[in-house]
Amino acid sequence: MEIKRYLTRRIIQILVSFFVILTVLFLLFRLAPGDPVSRMIDPSMSPEDAEHLIAQLGLREPIWRQYLVYVKNFFTGDFGYSFHYGRPVLKVIWEKLPNTLLLFTSSIILSALVGIFLGKIAAWNKGKPLDSWMTIGALVTHTVFLPWLALILIWVFAYKLGWFPITGIISEEIWLDPDAGALAKALDVGHHMVLPMATLFCIHFGSYLLIMRSSMLETLKEDYILTARAKGLRESVIRDRHAAPNAALPVVTSVGLSLAFSINGGALTETVFTWPGIGRELVFAVSQNDYPLAQASFLLIALVVLAANLVVDILYAYLDPRIRY
Amino acid sequence: MGGEKMKGDKEIRHRPHWFEQFLEGWSVFWQNPLGKIGVTLLGIFALMAFSSFIPPLVNPMYHPMTGVDPEIYSSVGPSARHWLGTDFMGRDIFSQLLAGARIAFMVGVSAAFMSIFLGTAFGMIAGYMGGFVDTLLMRLADVIMVLPTLLVVLILASLFGQLNIWTIVLIIALFRWPGVSRVIRSQALTLKQRPFIEAARVAGASHIRIIFRHIMPNVLPLAFLYMTFRVTAAIIIEAALAFLGFGDPGTVSWGMMLQWVWKTGHMFKALYWLLPPGICISLITLSFYMIGRAMDEVLDPRLRREETAR
Repeated sequence: MEIKRYLTRRIIQILVSFFVILTVLFLLFRLAPGDPVSRMIDPSMSPEDAEHLIAQLGLREPIWRQYLVYVKNFFTGDFGYSFHYGRPVLKVIWEKLPNTLLLFTSSIILSALVGIFLGKIAAWNKGKPLDSWMTIGALVTHTVFLPWLALILIWVFAYKLGWFPITGIISEEIWLDPDAGALAKALDVGHHMVLPMATLFCIHFGSYLLIMRSSMLETLKEDYILTARAKGLRESVIRDRHAAPNAALPVVTSVGLSLAFSINGGALTETVFTWPGIGRELVFAVSQNDYPLAQASFLLIALVVLAANLVVDILYAYLDPRIRY
Repeated sequence: MGGEKMKGDKEIRHRPHWFEQFLEGWSVFWQNPLGKIGVTLLGIFALMAFSSFIPPLVNPMYHPMTGVDPEIYSSVGPSARHWLGTDFMGRDIFSQLLAGARIAFMVGVSAAFMSIFLGTAFGMIAGYMGGFVDTLLMRLADVIMVLPTLLVVLILASLFGQLNIWTIVLIIALFRWPGVSRVIRSQALTLKQRPFIEAARVAGASHIRIIFRHIMPNVLPLAFLYMTFRVTAAIIIEAALAFLGFGDPGTVSWGMMLQWVWKTGHMFKALYWLLPPGICISLITLSFYMIGRAMDEVLDPRLRREETAR
């Protein structure tokens, strides 16, 4: 199978990329000015514990031995102890991962779907006022400064109107209430998620709309659309069944290409809304000089981006039968 | 001798051609409403940046960083004395806004210039040389491309301590070249097959000469298009970094102003302080983006897809 070979190659490429990132991060952490020991060991630790950890991480050994220990520790999920939480780093970020995935994937998928839908409508109405307004709206929402948009949304919908909570992910009174059911809890999280999701949605759907629009305009020039017209198919069928699915392919590619950019936005959104995710954890760790936590969060984010790229590749190969690698 | 003569001929034929192309391109560009709005907005920001040195001359209390109104020690709304009000220390918000425009241009243009330089050089070398060099550079580009630049700068800030504005610019440039280099590379790949490159090689031109003398002029317009998108990326990253509290403490940027209003808890009380910096960052991004799109249509309509990667 051609696809299988292509995917195997991509997986190998992605693994190589990850190893490069892993290695560069190791070198940065060891070669940066300052003492690597103080960077990996919590200053408030007792001397015996510290000695134990130094021996475990091999910090007094030659650098190549340290590297081997580092790689081994990575694959056994041992990232050291967070200075701030005093707990294993993996545990800390493992708890935050679902929150990030929930917010991030739902807003990316929603904005891609809405972007594809609106882009289709805009292209179909090319040159009419509706198209111009949609294009301008997409440009504006796409370029607005994300943290500021988040602050404005908080100001309007949480502060002035009071419709949504200002920050956080859960309300204590609901989660501490023993009578509250799973539904009430889920609704509570959903209630907290509206504004962060709206922020990420606003930033993303515009670019998907613009890509879908130009791709749809290209597709409508294709011969098979002419054939469909000649067959006397209804316009809505041509638009929705013949043109749109093909035109949506570049949007899938661009979701993958812009992932790194989206992750930046995700971290900013989580920070402003104090949404307990990995992005916010990384920002927090950097501000607290909690090096083990910062290192592990960064690696996990890189891993997520690489995995998501692979998912996009697979999706693309599946969606476009013309592509045979 | 023969090579010299050929070069001379080419230059004579090239110059008017380039200039005409520019004029023609400009008229197409100016007919596009996006281009017109973008350039106008940008002109306003340029004016702001140029006039940023005026307020401190009028009165030292208008200095964006160190100037404090002797009668005001807290954030006060707009007045004749302070057109946009003052921040938590009694500093003038309007003069901070002007200073922010200067920083935005500085960061945006210099980071974009550096990353375009790197991207064009690497792209041309990869495309022209092919083989191992090509594979190595493009794999490197792949790795860098999946890294979220903002988080990379954050990690570096945690390791190397407080970063100054030029270090931030340099890091942004180092992490934003891959997108450009790919486009330039594919362009170089097609150029490589053209007869005039063959002719130059036969005439005995070195690889370096072919790359910079014969390939570069043909990819430069494309590189400039990408420069506008890199400018927006650089401005956004610097602003976001400053907003998170990791900016250069010696500069007043718009991101820094937003951080102050957010961290000092004034965002619910002081809309006059919350609105201007955010609007400025968004509009300057929008203007560069509009110019990029308008240029895009002038140069090559098939390029539209890369925009989202910014």
